Amino acid sequence: MTLLNIENLTVSFPQHDGVVQAVRGVSLRVSPGESIGIVGESGSGKSVTCMAALRLLREPPSRIVADRLELGGVDMLRAGRTQLAAVRGRIAAMVFQDPMTAFDPVFTIGHQIVETIRAHRDLSKSAATTEAAALLARVEIKTPDAILNSYPHQLSGGMLQRAMIAMALSCRPQILFADEPTTALDVTIQAQILHLIKQLQAELGMALIMVTHDLGVVAETVDRVVVMYGGRVMETAPVQDIFDAPLHPYTQALMASMPGRTPGKQRLIEIAGASPNPANPPTGCPFHPRCAVADAQCAAEAPAFRALSESRAAACWRLA
Amino acid sequence: MIRYILGRLASIALTFTVVSIIVFLMMHAVPGGPFDGNDMPVNDAVKAKLNASLGLDQPLYVQYFKYMWGVLHFDFGVPFQSPGETVLQLLGRAWPPSLILGGAGVLIGAPLGILLGMAAALRRNTWIDYLASAFATLGLTIPVFVISMALIMVFAVWLNWLPASGWGKPRSWILPIIAYAAIPMATYARYTRSAMLDVLTKPFVTVLRAKGLSERRIIFQHVLRNAALPMVTVFLPMFIGTATGSIFVEAMFRVPGLGAYFVSSIELRDYSLEMALILMITMMFCVAYLISDIIYALLNPRIRFGDRK
Repeated sequence: MTLLNIENLTVSFPQHDGVVQAVRGVSLRVSPGESIGIVGESGSGKSVTCMAALRLLREPPSRIVADRLELGGVDMLRAGRTQLAAVRGRIAAMVFQDPMTAFDPVFTIGHQIVETIRAHRDLSKSAATTEAAALLARVEIKTPDAILNSYPHQLSGGMLQRAMIAMALSCRPQILFADEPTTALDVTIQAQILHLIKQLQAELGMALIMVTHDLGVVAETVDRVVVMYGGRVMETAPVQDIFDAPLHPYTQALMASMPGRTPGKQRLIEIAGASPNPANPPTGCPFHPRCAVADAQCAAEAPAFRALSESRAAACWRLA
Repeated sequence: MIRYILGRLASIALTFTVVSIIVFLMMHAVPGGPFDGNDMPVNDAVKAKLNASLGLDQPLYVQYFKYMWGVLHFDFGVPFQSPGETVLQLLGRAWPPSLILGGAGVLIGAPLGILLGMAAALRRNTWIDYLASAFATLGLTIPVFVISMALIMVFAVWLNWLPASGWGKPRSWILPIIAYAAIPMATYARYTRSAMLDVLTKPFVTVLRAKGLSERRIIFQHVLRNAALPMVTVFLPMFIGTATGSIFVEAMFRVPGLGAYFVSSIELRDYSLEMALILMITMMFCVAYLISDIIYALLNPRIRFGDRK
């Protein structure tokens, strides 16, 4: 069974001067319990893919087209408002990047967790409050009752992100989208939050999609990695293979640019060139202008994404 | 909270004093006095006697302190243009029509404007938005005497449904109330639209959707509550601004309200009435802002509990 099934997803945003294609033909399958990391630089389309999967983008202006977009067996492209609301929070939950702006500032944390619980589960207010306190305890908050009665502005970012995770897990979702959940946090807190997500994922047996630009984060939390660039998937492989034997030239360049892989002081290695302009993407493979092994074919035609072995796949002419 | 209110009360007292001094000085800086009119000239001896009887021959600072001492005892003097009554009696007679018109105008205009603004924000960039925004802009830009004249032409002259002017029967209140409601409606429509759009683009709204809340709950509980914050601060002051009378609406519909006295008290150098009117408005605005700020604090936990991160 496939929990999340995306086939040939395209997301575009019309602008005054043309159309920006943020996601260009992405396919992704996630099975129950699986943990996946989507990595890529800013503008690679990784967050937009997740937002589109939950239909959280404003439509219009954005336009979502896909051969298939299913979440927990629900056709997300055809689902109406009520059906979408039933999927969100219940089948699939999401943790966002900046916990400081993710809560409504005029209600307490408790109110916001309780309303989430009661939107999906038939519980009384007091039962839901007890449940909310238990959830906060579960995300290792020492004083759940005090936090329940706090307003967002009274809490630190780390505390809010814990509460956000508790809220996301409050209806036992089958899949959790974590969109750069540690980017806005202090380095010391980041590791704790990642550990917490990983641990809860294992305990609850849910699937996890970790969106990040930080390769260290995927190394610690996921089984399989999806590398995105210029709105396309470049490569997918088990996490160990991505680090040990990256196949796609972009993934290779990404790994080479990761600091601290070998000890000692070194000059930082960068990928020459700039990310593609989404309003005017290069022809062919989006990476070809920066790719060391590109030739005329790469500039002319985009390579298809195809399987290279049982567990690996990539989109590159050089890997045929 | 109590300390905050006490502090605000002290600043109101200061504002009140400063306004009273400035207005008093400006009033007397205008050349001429109450008995210098050309239509009924009086000779100098009579004028001096009249001025002396009203205390106008004394130094300005003495006049000021005498007047303010009276104000502290709710004695606002006698209006020179109507010496048979006190200023308070005049206000008691002329204010109720303005209060009824202004109050009803705001109470009808504000909810209508809020609904219009909500519809515009929720259907942004559709014909509903354009229509509502055009309506709001017209309400603000068409002078109120043009609106009044149009109402009189249509409903009194052509259709003959309602009286064109007067104040005797509640039937004659309807047209001036509609004229009065135009500005609060338009102001509120614009405030509501921009406040709602501001909240709708906040990240937490996406989180609310991602939690699977119904769109109705998101809009009515979360977005409206947040959008209401900037709106409560304009509601009461606007109410005061409207309920102290509109010279134009009252003149158009011949309503015996307060509006005309603002003009006549300045023209006739009616010092007592002029001071009383301005001090009254100052005090009402001060109190309105104080109450608005307290309501704002009650609705906004960031102010209510301060920042104790």
